[in-house]
Amino acid sequence: MIDCDVHNSWRSARVLLPYLDPYFRDFLERGELPGGRDSFPHAHRPWLHPEGFMRADAVPADGGTPGSDYELLRDQLLDRYDVEYAILTGDEAIEASTLANAPLASALVRAANDWTIDEWLPLDPRLRGSIVVAPQDPAAAAAEVRRLGDHPGMVQVLVSTGSQRPYGDPFYHPIWEAAAEVGLPIAAHLGGQGGVNANPTGCGPPTFFWETHALLVETGMGHVASLIAHGVFERWPTLRFVLVEAGVAWLPALLWRLDADYKALRKETPWLKRLPSEYAAEHIRLSTQPLEQPHDERHLWAVLEAIDGEHTLCFASDYPHWDFDDPRQIRLPDEWRERIMSENARELYGLPQRAAVA
Amino acid sequence: MRRVRACRAEEVPPGERVIRDVDGLSVGVFNVAGTFYALHNRCPHRGGPLCEGPVTGTALPTDDFAYAYGREGELVRCAWHGWEFDIRTGRSIVQEHTRAKTFPVEVEDGAVYVVVGG
Repeated sequence: MIDCDVHNSWRSARVLLPYLDPYFRDFLERGELPGGRDSFPHAHRPWLHPEGFMRADAVPADGGTPGSDYELLRDQLLDRYDVEYAILTGDEAIEASTLANAPLASALVRAANDWTIDEWLPLDPRLRGSIVVAPQDPAAAAAEVRRLGDHPGMVQVLVSTGSQRPYGDPFYHPIWEAAAEVGLPIAAHLGGQGGVNANPTGCGPPTFFWETHALLVETGMGHVASLIAHGVFERWPTLRFVLVEAGVAWLPALLWRLDADYKALRKETPWLKRLPSEYAAEHIRLSTQPLEQPHDERHLWAVLEAIDGEHTLCFASDYPHWDFDDPRQIRLPDEWRERIMSENARELYGLPQRAAVA
Repeated sequence: MRRVRACRAEEVPPGERVIRDVDGLSVGVFNVAGTFYALHNRCPHRGGPLCEGPVTGTALPTDDFAYAYGREGELVRCAWHGWEFDIRTGRSIVQEHTRAKTFPVEVEDGAVYVVVGG
């Protein structure tokens, strides 16, 4: 099994101090922080989880942050489920996208990336990292992609789904160009809802956490439509875009709508050569967690068949978050299981069979 | 096959179209740059009155992400949902396999004839 969304964390954001240059180190040492001395600078989302976001059984013995203790992560996830690779997505780092101070955000994600490379990747050959970037400064983000793009342990570029504009906007193209150049997929993980980023729902802010969490898929819809419409996959035909933790069952309906409207109004985007659904099939991948849970699983499978779920979905557990999916409990058609649990991610990230590694 | 007189040629100057009952079928007769074409006035998408929509050009396909308008007068945009069809072939310019029915046209002694039942 390849797990495409594993949240390694820090006990204190102060682990980043050695990785920051003196100017930005000063911000972290003496500046205002949203959650006290150990917290990471970000503009917190306005929806607070009433139970604290983490699996209750994932707190390390020393009381630290879930996901911060390698041995517990190994025992609860890597060994328990015989994980072949775990794609680390960090935890708070993508929230740097919410900061108005883009240079600070870029410095923080650079530090977080170096910390992941130094402190996590050497721990276990099953771990792979993500190059987190702060998209509010596309030039700095592109530079970060190029700085780390050839590191063998870093397998994707990572942004939050929360953003100031939909990701097809030419404002972001320097980042995608850099990703295409280094040959890495781009992943957008649920998060970054707050600060300078756009409201995640078009009708205004929802009230409750669970209500909001269910609706955050809306940002994924906006990014998929925008990336396709702006011709990002015509500009960079090798690019893959992975939506992480943004739901899956909405995608077929969105693509049906995009195809229908494109057929009438293609003149707005004459650079497109194919239907939106055809670009999606080739370039968009989705992580499964949290997979929708209908009363009758056949209803979900019928919908996922419409997006060739067998070849477009990649398993993710989201360990150690509260909405974790257990790979042994997740219900999928038997004939899709091997591709979704490992082979789609293997192709996406170019991961060799572990037997060949050993 | 039957040849049915649809209209006088002078009724359809270049860039224009008329719609006529041709042997019980509603048919649009178009003049594209001096050549006449006939399309069934029924859109293959959802059955709308295809030939009653605007005769237009469109944004030309591009490889360099630049806008260029062209093909003026070569396309008809269905009156209902706006799908664009090539008047000369009846084909949708988004998906070629979606095709409006076309009829052969003959012009003789100032009259336009549509060949139906072929």
